[in-house]
Amino acid sequence: MDNTQYVNQQKNKLSWLLATPTLVWLIIFFFIPYLIVVIYSFLTPTIYDIKFAFTTEAYREIWNWNYIKSFLISLRLAFLTTFFSLILGYPVAYFIARSSAKMKNILLFLIIIPFWTNFIIRIFSWRIFLSPMGALNNFLINLGIINEPLLILRTDLAVLIVMVYVYLPYMILPLYAGIEKIDFTLINAAMDLGANRWQSFKKVTLPLSKEGIFAGIILVFIPSLGMYVVPHLVGSQDSLYIGQIIAYKIKDIPRNWPFASALSLVMLLFVAVLMIILYNLHLKQQKLKVEENVQNQKKEI
Amino acid sequence: MENIKIKNVTKIFDGYFKAVNNVSLEINSGELFSFLGPSGCGKTTLLRMIAGFEVPTTGQILIGDEDITFLPPYKRPVNTVFQNFSLFPHMTVFENVAFGLKIKKLPKDEIKDRVFEMLKVVKMESEVNKFPSQISGGQKQRVAIARALINKPKVLLLDEPLAALDLKLRQHMLIELQNIHDVVGITFIYVTHDQSEAISISDRLAVMNEGKIIQFGTPDEIYEKPKTIFAANFIGDTNLISAEVIAKYDDYIALKCDAGNGDVFEIDSAVPFNPEIGQKLTVSLRPEKIAISRTPPEMKDDFNLVEGTVEDILYYGSHTHYIVRVGNLRIRVFDQHKRVYVDKTGLDWEEKVYLYWHDTDTHLIDEVLNESL
Repeated sequence: MDNTQYVNQQKNKLSWLLATPTLVWLIIFFFIPYLIVVIYSFLTPTIYDIKFAFTTEAYREIWNWNYIKSFLISLRLAFLTTFFSLILGYPVAYFIARSSAKMKNILLFLIIIPFWTNFIIRIFSWRIFLSPMGALNNFLINLGIINEPLLILRTDLAVLIVMVYVYLPYMILPLYAGIEKIDFTLINAAMDLGANRWQSFKKVTLPLSKEGIFAGIILVFIPSLGMYVVPHLVGSQDSLYIGQIIAYKIKDIPRNWPFASALSLVMLLFVAVLMIILYNLHLKQQKLKVEENVQNQKKEI
Repeated sequence: MENIKIKNVTKIFDGYFKAVNNVSLEINSGELFSFLGPSGCGKTTLLRMIAGFEVPTTGQILIGDEDITFLPPYKRPVNTVFQNFSLFPHMTVFENVAFGLKIKKLPKDEIKDRVFEMLKVVKMESEVNKFPSQISGGQKQRVAIARALINKPKVLLLDEPLAALDLKLRQHMLIELQNIHDVVGITFIYVTHDQSEAISISDRLAVMNEGKIIQFGTPDEIYEKPKTIFAANFIGDTNLISAEVIAKYDDYIALKCDAGNGDVFEIDSAVPFNPEIGQKLTVSLRPEKIAISRTPPEMKDDFNLVEGTVEDILYYGSHTHYIVRVGNLRIRVFDQHKRVYVDKTGLDWEEKVYLYWHDTDTHLIDEVLNESL
């Protein structure tokens, strides 16, 4: 064994040692519970509990229009939440990224401040704000813009508004990290080459912030899809989101834990497949570009 | 003729900092013109105003008869080669060069033809599909030049284009740039803090300091006849000596030089200058103009001779750099290693030497030398 091998071996030992606590933690509280969920999804439900008898009943039960509708509603919410946080978050992230170093810190601090208040409390304050006698309606009525209170609370719109509010920081922060890395002299270069502001944004800034956009979309889309608390607290009784169904099946009697497990796993699978597709599209796009260029060159020669 | 006219341009930042102070200048069409100065002298700000990234606080910039002072960068017939090239990292070499034409929405075939034609000019046609991260600094430089020139600008601005390259490559690219300038024939405006670059590449140059143009002219004018101490000092090496005029004759001026501690020595200058008797001024003496010898040279009428002691010897391969003590002065002498002058090989520390030079090389500057220099 030569010296390099020896040093590498020692380094390896050390990195395993450092990673062990986290790995143990993940195995106990992440991997094993997931395994339990997988096992439960194939068991038979009873009114309060489960029976250890293998069945695929839970998975067949999912193919019911009510559940598919819930799934579509959740999907729509996740898309809209992601879309609006991207649209609203991008200019903010851009503005922060282009501010002076001192201003950057202040603005990032302001973005993080909402995290200091408990999530549930913030949603309850939205309930008060949006309610028929709440601040928003009072304000609009006093201004004379409307005569009767707007019924926003307990609608899908309220869910969307609160979701965008909740997830905006999760969009802004990765966007900021992506945009901040862009060399802004590139925008000067684009304008120097004849691109106006919009063209240089479209051709330079936007493609270069792709990584940040991708990270932001993942951070917002995935948790929005399974969101339970927000629809539960501000949503309508008429549209059940997938997170709510899973929760009801776990806590309400008759309980159906296998079904809740199966539904969770289907969601997980869906998100995983979606992310893999997105990621591959992202990779393929770059590969295609290179190939196209190679062909260009061959033709030329 | 599409000359560039800079008229009384001043740029003030943050309400008080005068980056460019009342600069007026005309750059001829087709010329390779340099702005030379230390960092912070305002040369880059001036360039950015020509490119359109800054608007002058007062004054005007014209190309031909067109006033471009307030035009946005994308409407100017001007393109820039940026200091760190600023190539688009997400685009290939081809796409980078094609950028300007794509913005103009030219047909694809025409874009392709023109890009390859341009890449041939800069000798980069074999690397079209690489991304900027996959090519070397010199290659990035060529792409940046191609990307700017493909738009057929009337003026090409180069902002310290060689600063990011290593020495050998810099010397090579300097020749390339000159060749490209000859091929395309448009005006090049070149900004640099490197005096050797500016002198070797330019048709004319302007020396800038603290927002003002100190002097402009051809490289040899500026090197041989600097008008200020700053210009003499900034361009090339020089010996600056405080002197007083003691007599004027038809074809030369007699000077009394201050060697410090009350020591004086007398030299002559045959440069065209018309001082008062008793006027204090500064002598600028280029180190390479001075000959060094351990034996008294055969004197001619138009020679100046000074005796000194060798204080330091620095060997540079092609030449030796002597520092010779004359009174309290330290005179620098560059001595080319030419075998025909064998006399001073083996000159040693603390050896007595004779310095002599032609009196037309005793350049006079109408400024009093600040001792702190």
